[in-house]
Amino acid sequence: MGIELNRRSFLNASIAAAGLVAAGPLLSACGGSAAQRAGVNSEAGLKAVLPAHVPLTSIKPDIPSVAGGPDVLTDPGFLSYPANRVATVPAIPGRGGKYSAVVPLWGTIPPADNAFYQAMNKALGVELEMKPADGNTYNTIVSTMTAAKRLPDWINLPSWWNPNFNTGGLVGNQLADLTPFLSGDNVKKYPNLAAIPTAAWRAGAWGDKLYGIPSFSSGFVVAGTTFYRRDVLEAKGITADQVRSAEDLMNLGKELTDAKAGVWAFDDVYTYLYTAFGAPLKWKVDNGKLVHLYETDQFYEALDWHHRLATAGYVHPDALAGDQAGTTRFYAGKVLIAGGGTGAWNLADHQNGVAANPNYRRGAFDFFAADGKSAPRVDMGPATSIVSYLNASLKPEQIEELLAVANYLAAPFGSAEYTAVNFGVEGTHFTTSGGVPTPTDAGRKEVQAQTYPFLASPAQVISNQTAQGVTRDLAAWQAANAKALAKPVFWGMNVSMPQAQATAEAAQAVTDTIKDCYRGKKKVQEVKDAVATWKGSGGGDRLIQWMTDNVLQKYGTGQ
Amino acid sequence: MTSALRPARRNWRVRLRRDRSLLLMTVPAVVLLLLFNYVPLFGLVTAFQEYDPLSGVSGSPWAGLYQFERLFGDPLFWGAVRNTLYLSFVQLVLFFPVPIALALLLNTVLSERVRNFVQSVVYLPHFFSWVLAVTIFQQMLGGAGALNQFLRANDIGTWAVMTNPDTFALLVTSQLVWKEAGWGIIVFLAALAAINTDLYEAAAADGAGRWRRLWHITLPGLRGVIVLLLVLRLGNSLTVGFEQFLIQRDAVGHDTADVLDTFSFYFGIATNDYSYGAAAGLFKGVISLLLIWGANKLAHAFGEDGLYRK
Repeated sequence: MGIELNRRSFLNASIAAAGLVAAGPLLSACGGSAAQRAGVNSEAGLKAVLPAHVPLTSIKPDIPSVAGGPDVLTDPGFLSYPANRVATVPAIPGRGGKYSAVVPLWGTIPPADNAFYQAMNKALGVELEMKPADGNTYNTIVSTMTAAKRLPDWINLPSWWNPNFNTGGLVGNQLADLTPFLSGDNVKKYPNLAAIPTAAWRAGAWGDKLYGIPSFSSGFVVAGTTFYRRDVLEAKGITADQVRSAEDLMNLGKELTDAKAGVWAFDDVYTYLYTAFGAPLKWKVDNGKLVHLYETDQFYEALDWHHRLATAGYVHPDALAGDQAGTTRFYAGKVLIAGGGTGAWNLADHQNGVAANPNYRRGAFDFFAADGKSAPRVDMGPATSIVSYLNASLKPEQIEELLAVANYLAAPFGSAEYTAVNFGVEGTHFTTSGGVPTPTDAGRKEVQAQTYPFLASPAQVISNQTAQGVTRDLAAWQAANAKALAKPVFWGMNVSMPQAQATAEAAQAVTDTIKDCYRGKKKVQEVKDAVATWKGSGGGDRLIQWMTDNVLQKYGTGQ
Repeated sequence: MTSALRPARRNWRVRLRRDRSLLLMTVPAVVLLLLFNYVPLFGLVTAFQEYDPLSGVSGSPWAGLYQFERLFGDPLFWGAVRNTLYLSFVQLVLFFPVPIALALLLNTVLSERVRNFVQSVVYLPHFFSWVLAVTIFQQMLGGAGALNQFLRANDIGTWAVMTNPDTFALLVTSQLVWKEAGWGIIVFLAALAAINTDLYEAAAADGAGRWRRLWHITLPGLRGVIVLLLVLRLGNSLTVGFEQFLIQRDAVGHDTADVLDTFSFYFGIATNDYSYGAAAGLFKGVISLLLIWGANKLAHAFGEDGLYRK
């Protein structure tokens, strides 16, 4: 999502006013105290330090990237794993330094000092002690380390927790300034880092300086889309290009719903569809005036359409009852159209879907404008949220050694180094069958729980080795929709606001009523009433004023 | 403890020496209680602050009664209070007598095998989580559940059991009966077992029928337990459940399903407005204390033990 307005509570209004707002594309500089802030990026100042972008050409994707608007680039697709695993790092990068690294891990923590870590240390030429920590409680682990000023040498700080980590206060203080090593042409010393798209570096830049190393960057980031069961719809002679407007979609509801057979056309679709009606994600600027989503007519149009969809009986009753098992219903063919994040479109999804129905094929409608006439437009998100930082107490030569290690870790998809980082040692951690690296039990335990990629990794590619159809479908969908992606206002800016504004921003009473409305239980008028209350006693008007005074007028829209 | 001396007159040292092993045995429980029930009470301080977790309790500014002013001016809060009281009343009327009736019924079953079987079956749902319990209801009675698919197949029309805000109180109470009534009979069965069977024989010999024995022996024997549980229930009447409502909130809409506990969660914790949630929680605690005090007084007035013997 483009705009990550966080709900951190900062009580002290003076601190907040002093500059919790961050601007310039991406960066928030919010500290626990005003004295600690790194400052705000200025567009010109940041441009001067951003690393040069030198794409790598050694490994050719089967499906090349397609460019859209500014900073929009589809992920390249690989149908097979490159047979010739090119080496991109000629020498062992390290010089025997001893370091520690902490990364979040959503999965089972591998045993310490395992064979994979040992092999990696040998390949990297450093003694890098990996300490993965549970991703679900990661935010609480990090704050104890920063409070004690005992951060490891290398740490991943996901950007959605920046307010919790106080990353803006840590940079330059506990986290090292990498500007002298990476800015402009300096990055060319590390070719694999230079291959990371420029937009991704903004996620780790603070106060016109470079601090973070981005992982998993992508030039095609959207919150989600509207998926459909391509196998089922195509069997009925329905193809995605027939859906060009909200009306088309509503008609599909009538055509596909067969309640007696236990099949409903829709699961919840509102979350990723309301912007098709021309409503902004949350904010827009109209003739220089800041307008909140709830103040737009398009928002109520969207609600009205979704309300009609529900009351017409086209939405699965369990979805209307708030049951979250939509994916199961989608696999089972109980619903045929469902909203969801694009991350769902992968090999695991294919395997789960095929287990339920051998013909399973996920498809996504192209982004469309609800009226069927306007140009389709969807708000894009920041290029990455996964950023790693080095400890400020490291000496310059140590920083250079770790950047050389990062260069190894960021080797492109299919290279010798990428294979080592993502699959481990051939024979021990994986075997190659039909050109596809297949993890062994040891590999699943030690390697597949990803650790090193959270320190540095190449830009995202689309690759689903045993399901090439998924790769083709996703790449084709991205290419067809690249033109629709556009930066929303405050793109990638982290806005930290005082408690009262954060509470108003969350607008719990309104979001509850919205849910009841698109599930057919409340009328649009009731949402309007809830919004009226929100604007008054709920603090909505004060929020809009605060955003105008402290964000729009000070830092602009970030577009 | 057969001393003729009234305990209050006894020197506390003597009592301490006499009861020391008993007191020692209660120490772990007291420590647990202190640690997990009393120490966290200090967190209530946040209700009078603009609490920020990063600054901690000591670093957060004072807000006086501001949170309570907001709370009492919030129609959603009063909606939650209303829902809580209504649900509590429905539960009291429809749920509270069920375990008593069940226990009386089970008590009349002579075959031990049948009794054990029935008892096990009605106990079982107690061990299910609310997620599972609600899922079972959804699968059976939901819009796409067994009942409605049967109705659809026979063109009878559907029945919105799970999503009708008007009958939500009945739905959640029947879920409660299904899940907890079996568990609730344990204490009544124990009380029934404590009734002297000679009384029944004597009454039967005097020509008392089944109903007269129930009325004059069984129910008076249970009265103490029933009153105790009623006092506790009244004191807890603002606690009607949490997960059950959290899970089904989307199904009927927030204005029907929000009770005080879910209100604290959604409008306090979920929006980082901790102080507001703490204020709502404190309000609930104070009212509950008054209720339990009042109910206990009432029990004493009727000559029952209540929570403790006077």
